[in-house]
Amino acid sequence: MMAGVGGGNDFQWCFSQVKGAIDEDVAEADIISTVEFNYSGELLATGDKGGRVVIFQREQESKNRLLSRGEYNVYSTFQSHEPEFDYLKSLEIEEKINKIRWLPQQNAAHFLLSANDKTIKLWKISERDKRAEGYNLKDEDGRLRDPFRITTLRVPVLMPMDLMVEASPRRIFANAHTYHINSISVNSDYETYLSADDLRINLWHLEITDRSFNIVDIKPANMEELTEVITAAECHPHQCNVFVYSSSKGTIRLCDMRAAALCDRHSKFFEEPEDPSSRSFFSEIISSISDVKFSHSGRYMMTRDYLSVKVWDLNMENRPVETYQVHEYLRSKLCSLYENDCIFDKFECCWNGSDSAIMTGSYNNFFRMFDRNTRRDITLEASRENSKPRAMLKPRKVCTGGKRKKDEISVDSLDFNKKILHTAWHPKENVIAVAATNNLYIFQDKIN
Amino acid sequence: MVAKGQKRKLRREDEGGGSARESQLQSVLDISMDKFHRDQALVEPCLLRSVLINNTLRQVQSEVRAQVESLSAAKIPAKLKPEPDFTQLSPPAEHHAPLSSPNAENTEDDFMAWTSEEDFSLSSAISAILKDLDAVIDAGQGPCASQRAPLSSVENLTPCPLRTERTSDMASSIKTELMCPGCPQDVALDKLLLDIDPSVFEPELNLLQGFSVTADDLVKYLPSLSKSPSASSSSSLVSRGQATWEIQEIEHVMDILMRTYPQS
Repeated sequence: MMAGVGGGNDFQWCFSQVKGAIDEDVAEADIISTVEFNYSGELLATGDKGGRVVIFQREQESKNRLLSRGEYNVYSTFQSHEPEFDYLKSLEIEEKINKIRWLPQQNAAHFLLSANDKTIKLWKISERDKRAEGYNLKDEDGRLRDPFRITTLRVPVLMPMDLMVEASPRRIFANAHTYHINSISVNSDYETYLSADDLRINLWHLEITDRSFNIVDIKPANMEELTEVITAAECHPHQCNVFVYSSSKGTIRLCDMRAAALCDRHSKFFEEPEDPSSRSFFSEIISSISDVKFSHSGRYMMTRDYLSVKVWDLNMENRPVETYQVHEYLRSKLCSLYENDCIFDKFECCWNGSDSAIMTGSYNNFFRMFDRNTRRDITLEASRENSKPRAMLKPRKVCTGGKRKKDEISVDSLDFNKKILHTAWHPKENVIAVAATNNLYIFQDKIN
Repeated sequence: MVAKGQKRKLRREDEGGGSARESQLQSVLDISMDKFHRDQALVEPCLLRSVLINNTLRQVQSEVRAQVESLSAAKIPAKLKPEPDFTQLSPPAEHHAPLSSPNAENTEDDFMAWTSEEDFSLSSAISAILKDLDAVIDAGQGPCASQRAPLSSVENLTPCPLRTERTSDMASSIKTELMCPGCPQDVALDKLLLDIDPSVFEPELNLLQGFSVTADDLVKYLPSLSKSPSASSSSSLVSRGQATWEIQEIEHVMDILMRTYPQS
């Protein structure tokens, strides 16, 4: 186990890299919509609104640069999804990548699943650094040789060539979702995965594209009676029969696929009773869960709603074991945030490798980390101003009232257009990736 | 942990002051209706967003209903037994009745007959609401339009003058109406309107919170919640649902009207 893996104030986060354009004018297609490290942390994938996937690879640590770990450089870029048109419904299907999930590596190639609103694709990313030369029937440039001129037989030899990284779609899982896909999750059996939309969850086999099993269906017979939708779903990291899904009413249901083919009846139901004194018109909206993530251990799960992050013990359904306030100062601004639609923003959350710390994003390009052991928290900012190499990030503070101290920012000065919805934590080290609109920031802890 | 301000706010509501709560109610209603209508215009609105906005609108609606109830309950004399008819007549929020409206043509005629004597903006606003609502409903449910219940003639009902406690009078008249199961629901609307004393109306409505009501605004405020978020729903008229929706509409219109009166 890495010594002292944790978050919060125990570590000093430093700027490492930033990827993306510097222009103030952000192209819509460049907005990053998902970020995900692979299982080893060697690869970091991002998806954007333009349907592209960019994969960064960590360079090997060199002995010369002792002060920082390997940097992430572009490894592969490809167009995963294209905009489509549903002719039957006269609807355009956005190419925006909603989620990327890596498969565990089983050979030299890397595999990932990428999903837009309607279709999931399995991509194979493989390297080619050798080329066969000395074919008998064709020239080096590919032209067929005149058979009458061939007098001897030779065995082609493999010659080194410049590294080429190829991405090819190996499977396309389509036509299984009427509503918009919000989650995909690879099962621990490495054979199946689930995909969830607003009303249904389907189970797929990675090898089979022409059918999937519907395991959850909450669509009412009369759509006018619809009051709750599915917001996120995830497979348990170790128990391949268990998965959870969250709802717009702040509830989480844990289901066991062994119980029945259709998992409409949950095995466990997680909901925190509402505090009647804080009830408002917006109580339901802010309770809507935007992300759910199991801990690496599989013992806990974390949910993100609009104002807080909650850690749940899977053995206790009636309330979370820990609650962390992300930006409680926004509670008095909910009406304005409802008006400008910010209240519908879907923030994600993530665990660190040892489950001792959690991270989530906020506004003004702020992101928050909570150390579960020390209960300390820190607010940091992803901005170009703090992007000198290995510059240490200064903790930020939002002034909630009274006299604003130097270096504090008042709630009214926050930029609600700069939102950090997607963050990822390296599975083994203290390296984090933070997506700020069209830029990807990579931060590392300072090596002593 | 409860913020200080929250507790004080609750106490203020108990004392009947609740203007902050009301103004928030109004804001939420305005914003929600605006979003609802914008989303309806989209080919494929986001389902999560639609559901959350619809639920918020339902919450606002039940809050309005609760306010109406509490106002009328406070003013009704003891002999007029307050039955819990609200639950019978207005369905729970989940079973949302499809849109329907009283026969707007009759209403309009009656209105015109009545207002030909006195010309004031509110009655014309209300008739505009009903006309527009009817147009909306007709657009959505063509074959069902003929099933609307006819309104009885306004000529049979006599208007009564309103005094300073007009808000509660109106509320009580509505409540009385609603508590007679045998009364046709359509009469309630007429009674509501006839209870209004035209002399108290100014040419310009000057409201407590300073927001002015135009016919267009009032049309906006009426929730048409039965429009499902999904594109592929077909609604069918149920006469009971129709009646209950009318009650909801009445309450809502009444609330708008209540706001036109300076509360003394």
